[in-house]
Amino acid sequence: MKINVVKNVLEANEAVAQTNREVMDKSDILAVNITSAPGSGKTTLLETTISAMNSGLPSAVIVGDLQTTRDAERVAKMAAQVTQINTEGGCHLSASQVAHALQGLDLEELRLIFIENVGNMVCPAGFDLGEHVRVAMLSVPEGDDKVAKYPTLFQPADAIILNKVDLIDILDYDKSRVMKDISRINTRAPMFEVSAKTGQGMDQWYKWLKQQCNS
Amino acid sequence: MHEMSIAVELIAQLESIAAENGVDKIQEFTIEAGVFRGIVPEALDLAFEEISKGTCAEGAKMTLKVISALAKCNQCGLQFKPEIDSYLCEECELADVELLEGNDITLTLVSATN
Repeated sequence: MKINVVKNVLEANEAVAQTNREVMDKSDILAVNITSAPGSGKTTLLETTISAMNSGLPSAVIVGDLQTTRDAERVAKMAAQVTQINTEGGCHLSASQVAHALQGLDLEELRLIFIENVGNMVCPAGFDLGEHVRVAMLSVPEGDDKVAKYPTLFQPADAIILNKVDLIDILDYDKSRVMKDISRINTRAPMFEVSAKTGQGMDQWYKWLKQQCNS
Repeated sequence: MHEMSIAVELIAQLESIAAENGVDKIQEFTIEAGVFRGIVPEALDLAFEEISKGTCAEGAKMTLKVISALAKCNQCGLQFKPEIDSYLCEECELADVELLEGNDITLTLVSATN
């Protein structure tokens, strides 16, 4: 028996993602999905961002990692509400994991939810979590070829962050190479050159986040 | 290894198609996957083989077709075939596109028996 179908294989994930978005819309919350390689500084970026912005824009964090609660413990010092998801081998977060995490948050208290995806430059790119904006991050020590090597992470991004710019001179980082790659892959996304550690360049990132919250 | 998640969703859909059509065993099926999904066929085969054990799809033959990309420039509306590492519109010289094709994974044909 032949059965002709046209079924979106990821429709279950996409339906849950849409519900997540609607749940957050009702509470006037902006959800930001942050994707990058492991070690590019997602957790440090969030620590710095939340401590700078929390009074005006109360924030929660949903942290995805294969194992440990270390990142959640770090962020919990800054954000009142933090939920850790351990994917136990899974290489990206899914919409249903985020749906579960949302149930544990007091949404009425919040304006921003940061979803710190599993550190991976391939798999998280293909899975909608219900975010409103997606941020793709890279950092100077990773080398200046990452945008060209992982275009599917950067192409759909609403913003691109280059972190650890305080190391550009030390590591002979060729920023022009990165800019050239971005000019072919995504000219829509604003790019923020920051050091989450020193605070360099972070004001522009905060300004953009505030604009997204108000739009 | 996002192929694992894709295999889980795929098997759930095959099970519901089998139930809807009153069949017990899926023999073969075709999936059309956009090139940007970066599916490694061997990884999907391996994930499918493991996860389908004990389901109606165990042992089913999978045909994977890769669908090429189509982009639409958000600035001028020009439709063009982008490369995976270049989304530059030749009219605007900007890389600001909506992907019309190349990102979907679709189950298109299923063969089954009782």
